[in-house]
Amino acid sequence: MTQDVGGRRRVAGVRLGRGFVRTVSALLWRGVIVAALGAIGITGVPSGASAQSLAGADTVYASAPPRLLQIRTLLADAGRQTSTGSGFLVSADGLAITNYHVVSDAALEPKTYRLEYTGADGTQGGVTLLAVDLPNDLALVRVDKHDAPFFTFDKAALEGSLPKGERLYSLGNPLDLGFTIIEGTYNGLVEHSYNDHIHFTGALNPGMSGGPAVNAQGQVVGVNVATRRGGQLISFLVPARFAAALLIRGKDIRPEAADLRKDVVAQLASWRGALYKSLAEEGFHDRVFGSYQAPETHAAWFECWASTNASASPKPRASINSTSCKADASVYVASDLNTGTVEINHSYAKSIDLNQFQFATVLTQLAQPRLTLGGTFRKWYTPQHCHEDFVGIAPPADHPPLRVLWCAQGYREFDGLYDVAVVAVTQDRADEALVSRLNLQAIAYDDALRLGRSFLERLQVAR
Amino acid sequence: MIWIEILSKHREVAGRFRVDATEISIGRGYDNHVILDDPYVAARHVRIFRDADGRLVAEDLGSANGLYLDRSRSRKPQLVLDGVQPIRIGQTLLRIRDAAHAVEPERLVGSERSALPVVAAIGLGAALLAINAITVWFAQTSEAHLSDYLVPSLTMVGVVAAWVGIWALLARLFSGRSQVLRHLLIAEAGLTAFCIYSEFAQIAAFALTWAAVFTYGYVVSWTVIAATCFLHLRAVGRTHLVAKGVVVGVLLVVAIAVQTLQRSEAFANSGRPNVSHVLMPPSLRLVPLRQEQFFFDSVAALKAKLDADRAELKAPGVER
Repeated sequence: MTQDVGGRRRVAGVRLGRGFVRTVSALLWRGVIVAALGAIGITGVPSGASAQSLAGADTVYASAPPRLLQIRTLLADAGRQTSTGSGFLVSADGLAITNYHVVSDAALEPKTYRLEYTGADGTQGGVTLLAVDLPNDLALVRVDKHDAPFFTFDKAALEGSLPKGERLYSLGNPLDLGFTIIEGTYNGLVEHSYNDHIHFTGALNPGMSGGPAVNAQGQVVGVNVATRRGGQLISFLVPARFAAALLIRGKDIRPEAADLRKDVVAQLASWRGALYKSLAEEGFHDRVFGSYQAPETHAAWFECWASTNASASPKPRASINSTSCKADASVYVASDLNTGTVEINHSYAKSIDLNQFQFATVLTQLAQPRLTLGGTFRKWYTPQHCHEDFVGIAPPADHPPLRVLWCAQGYREFDGLYDVAVVAVTQDRADEALVSRLNLQAIAYDDALRLGRSFLERLQVAR
Repeated sequence: MIWIEILSKHREVAGRFRVDATEISIGRGYDNHVILDDPYVAARHVRIFRDADGRLVAEDLGSANGLYLDRSRSRKPQLVLDGVQPIRIGQTLLRIRDAAHAVEPERLVGSERSALPVVAAIGLGAALLAINAITVWFAQTSEAHLSDYLVPSLTMVGVVAAWVGIWALLARLFSGRSQVLRHLLIAEAGLTAFCIYSEFAQIAAFALTWAAVFTYGYVVSWTVIAATCFLHLRAVGRTHLVAKGVVVGVLLVVAIAVQTLQRSEAFANSGRPNVSHVLMPPSLRLVPLRQEQFFFDSVAALKAKLDADRAELKAPGVER
């Protein structure tokens, strides 16, 4: 089936902050990580000209230690780390950027978790969360470190005019093993992605999340965020401009005034609203499947795959041709919740030598609702409710009768956000049918109604 | 000439004595015409004689435990006997019959076992196997294998045979007659009812969009099982029908309650209703197509349910 094929090819991105570190930290535990290198660069950035002559990983790293951090999440009571990530200073008074997923436990459960940093120069201290950018997986923190050198952003990267192939150096503390520098290349933005991500060809590892990826001059181009399981050196960076924007937005926030949990929920809702608005505005085009036509999105951030059972063995008794367009616009909300996938899926089935009832069995298998969970049900979701009926859309000459199944579940903590799965099966022929599926994660209910309606209205008899 | 019959608890004759005296005494002592080895019977407990009208009468001879008619709880000093209802002394049931007691006419050999039950049993069995085969056939969407048909059919035959065997054994133990055919018929009828309902539920869930017949199918299943068990119990023995009915009814209620609880807990744990959405050939649709607007109104109404769930689930952790 489509989902399987698509699923095998598009392996999920892996966030770098936790998971591995969390499970292996018992083996790797070292208490305090002492930086081996002393500080060289006192000023923020070496000048362009001198940096060019110094280009090379050793020179780039030489100036990093006083501005490079490991950010650790600790259990407030036990005082032991539960996960680690990286971060970097962006101002002289201790503002630092890291990933939201490095600090999400502390953002969502401030009573249970607290944050600490260890500098690559050996300094240590407390970390206060100021602001987060959930869609881009960034967080702004203030560390207890003053008058230290800091990283600046690369101008070309902010403008998005970096050439492909530019050499980048990614910094961070992988697997809590010690600070490292990794060479790699800039390969532009990732295609078929709703959120902008830089495609970085380099070996990022868990624990490096939130660390900076810099050019040869030591200027930040992006923030380490994820890698792709099953790929070779395929890693992702958050573009520097989002970090720069977060810095401007969050630098004056007083930490005691911030209700981050509320902010996370609000950002999730508004980001999803914008995403679905853009999906509706990009519009749909019709694609013909046998006797039917069905909508496919124009949005470039969908990745589409086709599959067929024509070559299956034993020889299939009903041919099933599917296309599945999926936007992996899922976002890391909490350590146990990833959500936000959007999927449009059409399966055209035609009986070869099955009788009506057998063919209906095939359709039954294709038409199960499959509302997926991005986290555990008990913590994040409300029970699923479904409504199923026959629907006739006017005028009947253009629209085949449909059997429509609409299933929805809510998010316990996020008012106004729901997951909706719509499955429609054409009901005008006994030996062929189109099973169309629309899966919308983290959507406002009215948006789901609007999208669902236009989706069903576009299921038509091919002209 | 008078016949004294000692009856078992199941009203079968356990002993029969012919007495030619005009007055018969019955008791535990050896000076009686009929001796009963029942410790609750007096040495001389009761006497049987003919009254002025020639009817047989039983009279208590001053025993401590007294004389009763059948199951009656009221002690009688004297009882007129009709030869049908037994008398009870101590823990023993006695039936006293005159030699002139009329018996039922002779039955013809073979008339008892009519062909109908045999035909019905074979017919129901064939119908069950056919339903089974059709179900397998309709679910067959790839290569057909003979074992797909044989395994469920043989399983069904085996289960029915074991079930009927157990009931026949119970019947043999408690009433002396195994009545295999009757139990087979009952089991087949129950299974047929179950199969017909489950097919009906699937079709109704699709054709009439009645999801409830599917969701609450387990209630029907338990009811069918309970009714079948009751019929089996009735076939084992027609005594204590009320008690049997009550026991089966209580077990039915318990079974349904436990399964309802288990389902609601599973739902609370997973949030997934235990429902599969079944499609059938479009020609089976019995309800008219809904207007698009009507459908979306119904779907929009789900939001209130979801929000109510959220409010309920959120309530305990508000202070966060």
